[in-house]
Amino acid sequence: MTDTTSTSPTPAASGAAADINAVSLSVNGAPYNVAIATDRNLSGVLRNEMGLTGTKEGCDDCECGACMVLLDGQPINSCSYLAIQCQGREITTVEGLASRDDLHPLQRNILAAGGVQCGFCTPGMLMSAHALLETNPEPTQEEIRIGLSGNLCRCTGYAKIIEAVANTAAETPVAPPSAG
Amino acid sequence: MTEAMVPAPSEDVPAFVRADGPDKVTGSGRYTADITLTGMLAAKFRYAGVSHARITRLDVEPARAIPGVFAVITADDVPDVEFSYGIADRRLFAKDVVRFEGEVLAAVAALTPELAQQAADAIIFEYDELQVVTDLEAALADSSPLVHDDLDAYTITGDTPHGGNVATHSSITVGDAGAARESADVVVSSRYVADASHAVPIEPRAVVAQWEGDKVTVYTSTQVPFDARNGVCETLELPASRVRVIVPHLGGGFGGKCGFHYEAHIAALSRAAGRPVKLVFSRWEEFVAPDRRREGMIIDVTTSMAADGTIVAREADILVDNGAYIADASFFAQAAAMHVAGPYRIPNVRIDSKLIYTNHQPSGSVRAPTAPQGCWASELHTDELAAAVGLDPLEFRRRNIVRTGDVGPSGQTYEEIGLEQCLELASTSAGWGRDLPDDEALGVGIGWWPSFGAPAGAYMKMHGDGSAQIITGANECGTGSVMTLRMLAADEIGIDPSAIELIYQDTAVAPVGPGASGSQTLFNHGRAVEGAARQIADQLRDLAADHLEANADDIVLADGKASVAGSPAIAVDISELAATAASGELLLGKGNAEIRDWPTLSGSSCLGEQGFSSFLAPQFFCHVSRVRVDRDTGVARVLEVHTAHDSGTILNPMAAHGQIEGGVMMGVGQALTEGTRHGDDARQLNPALLEYKLQTIADAPSIHTQFVEIFTPNAGPKGSKGLAEAPNVPTAASVGNAIAAVIGKPVRRLPMTAERVWEAVEGLDQPDSSTDATTYTGGAQ
Ligand code: FES
Ligand code: FES
Repeated sequence: MTDTTSTSPTPAASGAAADINAVSLSVNGAPYNVAIATDRNLSGVLRNEMGLTGTKEGCDDCECGACMVLLDGQPINSCSYLAIQCQGREITTVEGLASRDDLHPLQRNILAAGGVQCGFCTPGMLMSAHALLETNPEPTQEEIRIGLSGNLCRCTGYAKIIEAVANTAAETPVAPPSAG
Repeated sequence: MTEAMVPAPSEDVPAFVRADGPDKVTGSGRYTADITLTGMLAAKFRYAGVSHARITRLDVEPARAIPGVFAVITADDVPDVEFSYGIADRRLFAKDVVRFEGEVLAAVAALTPELAQQAADAIIFEYDELQVVTDLEAALADSSPLVHDDLDAYTITGDTPHGGNVATHSSITVGDAGAARESADVVVSSRYVADASHAVPIEPRAVVAQWEGDKVTVYTSTQVPFDARNGVCETLELPASRVRVIVPHLGGGFGGKCGFHYEAHIAALSRAAGRPVKLVFSRWEEFVAPDRRREGMIIDVTTSMAADGTIVAREADILVDNGAYIADASFFAQAAAMHVAGPYRIPNVRIDSKLIYTNHQPSGSVRAPTAPQGCWASELHTDELAAAVGLDPLEFRRRNIVRTGDVGPSGQTYEEIGLEQCLELASTSAGWGRDLPDDEALGVGIGWWPSFGAPAGAYMKMHGDGSAQIITGANECGTGSVMTLRMLAADEIGIDPSAIELIYQDTAVAPVGPGASGSQTLFNHGRAVEGAARQIADQLRDLAADHLEANADDIVLADGKASVAGSPAIAVDISELAATAASGELLLGKGNAEIRDWPTLSGSSCLGEQGFSSFLAPQFFCHVSRVRVDRDTGVARVLEVHTAHDSGTILNPMAAHGQIEGGVMMGVGQALTEGTRHGDDARQLNPALLEYKLQTIADAPSIHTQFVEIFTPNAGPKGSKGLAEAPNVPTAASVGNAIAAVIGKPVRRLPMTAERVWEAVEGLDQPDSSTDATTYTGGAQ
């Protein structure tokens, strides 16, 4: 019996190299111009071309949320997004959350609550939580659970993460609804 | 039980912000896959992809011919070394025969991961398929094909009975269980079957190797850096002094990253390529390839009782799925026997337990190996026993559990233990006996887990400015245990923990230690750090005695000052003493954790001793779960889990609660959704997160935890015991008993998936009497 086919479900690299494209991405407010193959995913480009390794990769099938970043404010799994789809759009990664001297309230609260153990899920959790609080500054427990349900954590049991998001919501003044 | 035993509720847990926290929340902390070195290549493996076959051709030339491929290596390119604990049954690369689908045939280093994959796929692999061993019972038949033709051809350490497909055979024998059954009033027999499951750390493993001259540095996502180093040394025949293992931040392990994995493959590949090489696993590889997953088990257990529910005998036969290679599983048969026996007073015991070779992925130490499955079986069986004599499950346990001074089922006499307190605290917290809707019930599970005394060392130094460093072989896999080491040292020296930095996860600088395995970071590394800190404290006391013209024995070190006992005003800053020392005799300490022996047994005879027939500083625990079951769909939802743990003194409450909550969550997954299915070809059918479902935040129950902090002889620092594995043990048991209480019968397969619960409700699980026999004889009602 001869087996010359791939034993892994990862698609074998096609013989022909994918086209190389020049792409302009705005990441955490900084412009990046990169030449990348059209089939490169966003998480790989963030991590390798830009050196932003805070965005993690925990699977290959959109199932873990470790790679969560914001694309124009919306949370996406960057492992399953082509980098070229982000041309000209604003990307926020975990590195964009903290200011130079200060942790973001979500970062501070997730540490204070004990919601960080190995920390591998943490960047993705923070990005999902950030997106949630941007659209819903006073989420209920249930809304927090729904907002973070795309992020797996194997270490914590989740309770401390819910607590951290709730504490952040509680301490952040909610802007009055705009008049228009 | 005194008031003092009732701990503060979790809401009052003092804040303890971990030192590695800012790194982790800002994304600036580096994990292994985040490392990039100049000239670095990407590695990919070629796997067997077949469960049992004789290799007839392995041609790597097509891979080598691809431009951009720097090296392709196989068994021919590394020393021919057989390794593993207990039975040296494995090589780095398959040679002659492959025995599971995830076995590595070859490794490729190329410019990009895509190119490396293309090259791996280009390797020509031809083979003659061999019959697979996939069924644990069929594996025992004389006519069964063998996974290994001749075990005795391997180097075997220890004298565990083995042969055929039996890797190890252990037993516990106390009294005469058969005779006790003959004269018992009530006898209950049950069968339980647990599927294999996985550790699933969210970080897939990664390894980077770089040579400089004849020395190699390996960055790796291991829990046990010294085991990883020793594995590289053994298989590549290198001295320990030339192999340095560094563990960057580790993204979880749960035992799945214990042992020695691919460090030697990547070191050898890097040497062949003449470049640094990085391997990063895909999730699929994480599921099928490592020799660390939780073992499947078949448990047949028979318990004999007096009419009042007193247990008089237990007999059990246990089959544990070892998979294709032994990895670190040689003690599993004996460990499983202890968990099926359970923490009960049982005067007559006969348990036979066999670890069976199959063509599945190898089993290995995942978070309390064998314990959740053994506990699940033992505890579901216990509720069946209670029902058979008409007792409430809690009352039945009260009558039979081990207490301080009792002799347990393997003949060990227990010193101070807190199991009965755990039982009362968890059940009271849960409101045992309260009215619940008819689709809900409470279920209880109790269990135990040992501590392990292993060699561990630590260094400590205090600098001239009064800050200090701990240099430890401990490994931080997320639990926070390593972070706690600072507190232990600070207590000895009398300075703030924040003035102490940790140097850890580097075998070139730290003394040996067990790393993050067996819940032993504090138990062993903690004792070593205390020893090192005490040496510095002694030096500080001598310096202070000179300075204050007092007796060194009277010097108290606290709050950054050395003062004279009883005269706090006569004091000097510790930093001032440190400055003095910096220009004279330096402040340096070293500590060793003394080895702890297993407690002795009496009145028992145990076959195949692997050191698990008695438990050193045992941890005890009880979980009570409230579960809702939809009888129409079989879907169970865990709403609350009330836990009580005797882990001795709790040193870091935030970390302790974190371990309980994470362990419970993993236990809920094991209870309901996490199970590996195999095809007839012995390959995994669901090696992906889409089909192997972890619990999400939407599933998270509320968890209420209490600690029973009693004094334990032979425990770790300040009377502490281990904690990281314990909470994973009884959760599935408590969930299973709650499900049984709702639907009126136990679900005898783990995980208790919606489909299996539904089948039990519909009576579809019954026809196979050999897999579902509950017989009451004698005085049964
Ligand atoms: S890496 Fe898992 S969802 Fe993207
Ligand atoms: S903290 Fe480890 S996966 Fe969430």
